[in-house]
Amino acid sequence: MTDQTAAPPVLALRGLRKQFGPKLAVDDLSLDVPAGTMLGLLGPNGAGKTTTLSMTTGLLRPDAGTAWILGVDVWQNPAAAKALMGVLPDGIRMLDRLTGAELLRYTGLLRGMTEADVVSRTGELLEALGLADAAGTLVVDYSAGMRKKIGLACALIHAPRLLILDEPLEAVDPVSGETIRQILRAFVKGGGTVVLSSHVMELVESMCDRVAIVAEGRLLANGTLDEVRAGMSLQQRFLSLVGAHDLGTETLAWLRSS
Amino acid sequence: MVALLVSLRWRQLGHQLARNPWMIVTLIITGLMALGFLAVLAAGLLAMRFAAPETAVTVLVLTGALITAGWWIGSLLVSADDTLAAERFSLLPVTARQLLPGMVIAGATTIGGLGTTLALALMLLGWSVNGLALVVGVLIIPLALAICVLGARVISGLLARWLARRRSRDLVMTIGVLLAASSGLLINLVLAAVREMGDVGPAFAGAADVLGWTPLAAAFGVPASIVAGDIGAAGVRLLIALATVAVLWFASQALLAARLVAPIQSGGGGRVRSGGIIDRMLPATPIGAIAARSLRYFRRDPRQVVNVVMMLFLPAILIGVVFMNGLQEDSIGFGPVVTLVPAIDALLAGTIMQMALAYDNDALALHIHTGVRGTADRLGRLLGFGVIAVPLLLVLCVASCVLAGRPDLLPGSLGAALGLGAISAGAGAWVGSFLPGRAPAPEANPFGRGSSGGVQSLIAMAVMSPITLILGAPALGFAIAAFWTPALGWVSLACGLVIGAAAVWGGAELGGRVLDRRWPQVLAEVSSEA
Repeated sequence: MTDQTAAPPVLALRGLRKQFGPKLAVDDLSLDVPAGTMLGLLGPNGAGKTTTLSMTTGLLRPDAGTAWILGVDVWQNPAAAKALMGVLPDGIRMLDRLTGAELLRYTGLLRGMTEADVVSRTGELLEALGLADAAGTLVVDYSAGMRKKIGLACALIHAPRLLILDEPLEAVDPVSGETIRQILRAFVKGGGTVVLSSHVMELVESMCDRVAIVAEGRLLANGTLDEVRAGMSLQQRFLSLVGAHDLGTETLAWLRSS
Repeated sequence: MVALLVSLRWRQLGHQLARNPWMIVTLIITGLMALGFLAVLAAGLLAMRFAAPETAVTVLVLTGALITAGWWIGSLLVSADDTLAAERFSLLPVTARQLLPGMVIAGATTIGGLGTTLALALMLLGWSVNGLALVVGVLIIPLALAICVLGARVISGLLARWLARRRSRDLVMTIGVLLAASSGLLINLVLAAVREMGDVGPAFAGAADVLGWTPLAAAFGVPASIVAGDIGAAGVRLLIALATVAVLWFASQALLAARLVAPIQSGGGGRVRSGGIIDRMLPATPIGAIAARSLRYFRRDPRQVVNVVMMLFLPAILIGVVFMNGLQEDSIGFGPVVTLVPAIDALLAGTIMQMALAYDNDALALHIHTGVRGTADRLGRLLGFGVIAVPLLLVLCVASCVLAGRPDLLPGSLGAALGLGAISAGAGAWVGSFLPGRAPAPEANPFGRGSSGGVQSLIAMAVMSPITLILGAPALGFAIAAFWTPALGWVSLACGLVIGAAAVWGGAELGGRVLDRRWPQVLAEVSSEA
């Protein structure tokens, strides 16, 4: 563990800040992710998770602060920083008039890979994620889970050092979900680093060794899974930090018909 | 239930307008055009009412048939985003019998429905030649409106399963945009044909009489028969119209009932040919990949298919215009001007390149987080477009020179077309990097929402046009001079190729630098809703 803390963090966010009109979406957020770890980013809806990840991946320019990937500043030297990252965005359209295989090839070539690498990895990724049969179908005709999987394949194809995944398992069936978990575990074991956002506590507890909790644009907790949990279940701890919304006995009383 | 559905439709329209100010502009422009049409209709009817009452009746029946046909065919174009689609009610405990009256009245009180009602009311001007016809004219307004709305429901309902396939939706949308784009020429052609035919009165009267017996115009045939003094025929036509309403009513009720329990889900078109040739032909680099992707999108994205088809259509339209004017003034005839038609067509390149980023919408994020260089993006898109545009322009130039009977003008024709095309494409590549404009979202119906490129595209046009004209002046000027001194065509070709190549390179380089600096802002602009 000591060598990990001594090495520079793979991802370092410093004072990130973003305001949309009157709403402060991300407020002076700083976070370090050491190499070879998997960080789960948790937070209620509208907490600023996606905004933070967009500022990390170069999609949204922060009002203040910046993100460092392996010592490269995303906003000073975007091309070098982006080469180190693989990104699965959430809620963003894909170039969905391409087939799955075409989209993978396109992503690989945009990443500057050689054609031979692109072709062999495309085949392997489609096979591993169970998309081989759908390789010739337009992505616009994919189901939500299949889109997640092809998005993940696009994020993986150039063998990045850091993976940034927004809701990676949403709408994915349990079989493919297990495949993705295996892929991510192997990736971390091989020295890769993962940042994933999720609403599923079970996923974070079983997969991640570090957890960060964000609410209203601020970092509420950050540390190893056991530090953050502090003896509670992650669900309880999350609710106690974010503030549970307890329904009184009178609310929705008419629903209790029997 | 009726009031609920009608207010639901209007509230949804209101929310859409509040969210998207450009839609208000589109709506106002459409409204003004509709008012203009109604004013022409009113003036024409008024004039005919006094000058030639019998002709007025013919025109009324034909207009009525046109309006009805417009509703029935138009239903295909707007069915893609029906705010009161049956599927939305399939989880609620309602029956088709309960829903249908409200849906029909909601359909009749849309903007189109109100305009139609107004048009039908204006028709009373024409019916006023005869007192009884006027009274009957009032009574058939609801009848005619019901046939319009119910017929549209039945047709879109019958074709709903076919339209649910992505490929058929794309096809309908492409044909619709093309019809809208070439409607001016079509109307001119029809009018010219009518003028050529000379006395067409009897033919029209005959057509009106036949249509008056069909569901399309039976309602309008009733007062027409009364004006003609044939009460018996009027009665039979009234029965036909009433029977039409009844049949359409029960048909749409059955269709609605079926869709409530078996909702139609929009589906895909299955596998596509992957076109490996494109990949083999273009280099396996970011530029080559972007070019290959642009080529695939020109074929698979209906919004961009329209652009390419427009490039094929515009010369036909322009040559049609030259041809029609040539007919009227024989002295001009097919002039050497025809050889410059491809050059005008090539100007479309500017807008197509300028809008390229907007069509990607937020999918553009892929280019950003993969770290593609701006210049690679610009060059890739230019290359992809060039693979289509250059051969197209070559064929057009040869064809236009053959058509004009002046093969000696080919160098000038090529110089002007390739030069202006490359220059405007280069200008578009640069301007599009900071004024990308806005395109309808990939899944949106170009007819359903405001599809204007917005103010940005107008400003972009104002920036690109002078650049294209100044840089293109040598190629165009020598091409025109070649009409008298054909040898100058070669100078035009040289100018076009050299300046064109420089413009493409300059546009890609300058535009690329802007993109490298402004990627996140460009993404925000092309993906914003309003």
